[in-house]
Amino acid sequence: MSLDNLKNRNVGVQNYKMLDLGHTPETGWGKFKQVLKRSVKLELFVGLKVTMREMFKALFMGEMHTVKYPFEKLPISPRYRAIHEMKRLLESGHYRCIGCGLCEKICISNCIKMDTRYDENQRKEVSDYTINFGRCIFCGYCAEVCPELAIVHGGRYETASEQRASYSNFEDMLTPMDQLVNQKEYPGFGAPTPVADKNIKKTPLAY
Amino acid sequence: MSEVKRKQTKEITVTIDGKSITTEYGKTILEVARENDIYIPTMCYLTKVEPIASCRMCVVDVEGVDGMILSCQEKAVDGAVINTNTKELEAERQNIMKLYDVNHPLECGVCDKSGECDLQNKTLEFNVSQQNFTAKDMYRPVQNWGFISYDPSLCIMCEKCVRVCNEIVGSEQLQVSTGGYKSTIINTKPENNCISCGECMAVCPVGALVSSDFKYTSNAWELNKIPSSCALCSAGCQMYYEVKPESIDNPTEKIFRVTNEYEFTSMCGAGRFGFDYANTTAFKDRAKFERAVEAFKKADTITFSSSITNEEALMLTHIAKAIDAKLSCPEAYGFSKFLKAYSSVSGKSLWGGDLATLAKSDAIISLATRVKDDAPMVKNHIAMAVKREKAQVVYMHPIEDSHIQNLVTKFVKYEAGSEEGVVALLLELLTRDKELPTELKSFIDELDIGNLSGESSISEEELDEIVATFWKKRRFSLIVGEDIYNHPEVENIAKMLAAIEKYTNYNVVVTPPASNSLGVALICDLEPEATGYTVGYNCEADFNLSSLGDGDLDMPALNQQEGSIVTINKQLVPLNVALGYDGYILNDIANELGVGRKYTIDFTSELPKDKGFKGIEFDSLANNFSKYGEDIRGYKLEVINVESKIELNDVEDLPSFDGIVVYNVDSAQNPNPFTQKSKLTKTEPKLLGSKQFAMAAKVKDGDLVEFELNGKKVRRVFSIDTSLKGTIALNPTSDMGLSAFAVSSYRFSQININKVGGANE
Ligand code: SF4
Ligand code: SF4
Ligand code: SF4
Ligand code: SF4
Ligand code: SF4
Ligand code: FES
Repeated sequence: MSLDNLKNRNVGVQNYKMLDLGHTPETGWGKFKQVLKRSVKLELFVGLKVTMREMFKALFMGEMHTVKYPFEKLPISPRYRAIHEMKRLLESGHYRCIGCGLCEKICISNCIKMDTRYDENQRKEVSDYTINFGRCIFCGYCAEVCPELAIVHGGRYETASEQRASYSNFEDMLTPMDQLVNQKEYPGFGAPTPVADKNIKKTPLAY
Repeated sequence: MSEVKRKQTKEITVTIDGKSITTEYGKTILEVARENDIYIPTMCYLTKVEPIASCRMCVVDVEGVDGMILSCQEKAVDGAVINTNTKELEAERQNIMKLYDVNHPLECGVCDKSGECDLQNKTLEFNVSQQNFTAKDMYRPVQNWGFISYDPSLCIMCEKCVRVCNEIVGSEQLQVSTGGYKSTIINTKPENNCISCGECMAVCPVGALVSSDFKYTSNAWELNKIPSSCALCSAGCQMYYEVKPESIDNPTEKIFRVTNEYEFTSMCGAGRFGFDYANTTAFKDRAKFERAVEAFKKADTITFSSSITNEEALMLTHIAKAIDAKLSCPEAYGFSKFLKAYSSVSGKSLWGGDLATLAKSDAIISLATRVKDDAPMVKNHIAMAVKREKAQVVYMHPIEDSHIQNLVTKFVKYEAGSEEGVVALLLELLTRDKELPTELKSFIDELDIGNLSGESSISEEELDEIVATFWKKRRFSLIVGEDIYNHPEVENIAKMLAAIEKYTNYNVVVTPPASNSLGVALICDLEPEATGYTVGYNCEADFNLSSLGDGDLDMPALNQQEGSIVTINKQLVPLNVALGYDGYILNDIANELGVGRKYTIDFTSELPKDKGFKGIEFDSLANNFSKYGEDIRGYKLEVINVESKIELNDVEDLPSFDGIVVYNVDSAQNPNPFTQKSKLTKTEPKLLGSKQFAMAAKVKDGDLVEFELNGKKVRRVFSIDTSLKGTIALNPTSDMGLSAFAVSSYRFSQININKVGGANE
């Protein structure tokens, strides 16, 4: 496109229509009369009517339309990947994590660390587990790889902290024991598909 | 026999998967395939043992032969056309995998083997995604065998463990109990013969045999493998230290376990479980360092143990020259005398045999060593010779060792102290029909055989029996042990042994007394005794540098430094840094005294060429096996020809020991103060004796006794060991710290024993 065309833009034929707004007073007297008229007719409150109605509804009739963040938060999609949670077994309350280390291995920012040991019941016990949220990129791989549906992403999305590195410990991520009844199965990353039950094949048993 | 063998070694051509391969007769189809990079899956094949043939995974098709052939067992023959990968074979293999997977617990998530498990790998490789067969499951509890735990439900019955325990270790500890899905491995005598060597655990392809200490503490892939060599004895076995940060709270690295190239080589229990002897508390304490430098400056003698690297040994010779001091190494002095005297007759700087020739022998004499404890790897190679070559073994020692009864054809007991006579008798016996130079002939003719046999209490019939035992044998080995090096007549004994090597067809294998005694003996000129003001490196002295962490200045342990040692195979092998070390090292002191280098390993290429070292740089030393299992670690020392002349002294009256005698010996699992420092291998030191000894010494089981040894008072709990006989008790020295390395006396000593506490105090 040449410069000419650019300068010489053809705006075309426009269909503008003049509004009938009366005329704007020009003399001092005329202006004074207009102010006086508007004040007496309380035109301002006609404009504020809707606002006042909604304010009244919100304050006295419980019909608030905004969220009082940070005191209130909106529910978030289950597929959102925020700070991790560690789930427990519903029956026993024991944590689900078996210490297989797959999350530690798959984590691409290398921010999961865990310690395991041989416990008194001859089982593998996770003695410590941490995630460095200063490095976590919330990719969700850990939740996806977990064979036990133990580690999942929760809904806690505020990750601002005083330090760049902020850690979460095992206890912080585990469902508190008194909240066990409210523990929800995680429908997001790595969750079983809705038809999972149908796909299960039983091992043949001879007895 | 060798005649027959030679005839068979002819060239053959086989075709595998369309590839024409020329090789020599005698190899199995699997070996030929592997050497030519053709993959045949196996489950039970273990290179270092004879084919086990329990899995049938290795089946191949040979054209013109009905049915499938087990490639691990069948030799390749000329003209054979072999297919390794047909539809039927694939189906057969998949079926085998399906059977292996029946009822296998779904516990990879917690299993220690996960990530390096043959079953896991092959299950994926053969795409077994579901179980179509079934078998009744049953309760199979986990068993603990010392350092090892056995989980029968994970066991796939490949029998590798049984095979190594029999064929490599010679403990004959494990057996297969068959019964379809009830089959298990049973440990027949857990507290008796099992020496907790961990060989079975190392070769187990699944998580059935694992270390009880390591169990569930880390996933295999989190560990960082550091290739090195075991520095606990002169076998210098290939090994990996597997390290990672200790825990979330403690980021310092820790050795979690030790593994090795188990396909090709072995380790003993000390190396596998006694690994945490690193000196971890050291830091740079300038004041201490300056004191150490001062101490060196005024030292008359530097005395050291031979658990140091070649580089450090060379550094010490430079330091000694710089400060005009003498060098003394109580641990290796006797050995270096032995070596010099030996070379003076044999004309070679080193002895002729090594562990490989030992394993290939069919007639073996083990002399002057409690071999299972002194040199576990030598014992393993005796076992291999016995199992594969049907070797006859004559075990000559004052103390019978019931643990290796199964390997020994004939035990010849001689009196403690009479080694010179014993070697003279052997020399006469083994050179009977040989061409000898006149001076040797006349020396032998002058020996008073009757008298020697009386004094050493080896009867002439027994000597004849040795000859009879070795009837028709062709490949002879003579193992020379540690008892001799500190014998007063070590030089004469060494010369007689060298004459045996020179004039008979015996391969002599000399076992160095500690990890790098051979390196030290070659590199340093040692004085018989430390005099004046002494500075000790890992050896008790006036000023102590110690890797045990209890001296005046800390030094790194052998798993915290780079360097090299020389093994019983006359091979230089590299050591690597498994754990960091924060203190001062010997090179810092050497630098302070003006004879150091930038790095300790700059000395590697300076090791003396006239002693057989090759001047190769540390960083060019390999530390692995070739893919065919050849040991290509470091390099073999050059054997240098030296002047040889036969100057033997007459064998005088033999010393005799009456009454109560103790023998300084440490067990195979806890051979020295380093393993005594290790969590798993440390043991409570006990004087072990037979019932007969207890009677003679008037002590009871559990008594606290005191006796004088090497001028030092030693206190020990006495314990009766029912596997012992006779009046010689076994005294461990591994708990003696730095002074253990200062012991330079003959291993047997006559003692007076005092009871200082009863059994119940
Ligand atoms: S979300 Fe991703 S980065 Fe964060 S811990 Fe899990 S795997 Fe690691
Ligand atoms: S993947 Fe799941 S079960 Fe495995 S260690 Fe991580 S959280 Fe635990
Ligand atoms: S032995 Fe192998 S297949 Fe079996 S549970 Fe362990 S890792 Fe998995
Ligand atoms: S530890 Fe050694 S001796 Fe014991 S069963 Fe295993 S291989 Fe045999
Ligand atoms: S314990 Fe391990 S090595 Fe032994 S038979 Fe079972 S699987 Fe094989
Ligand atoms: S490898 Fe041949 S039968 Fe197992």
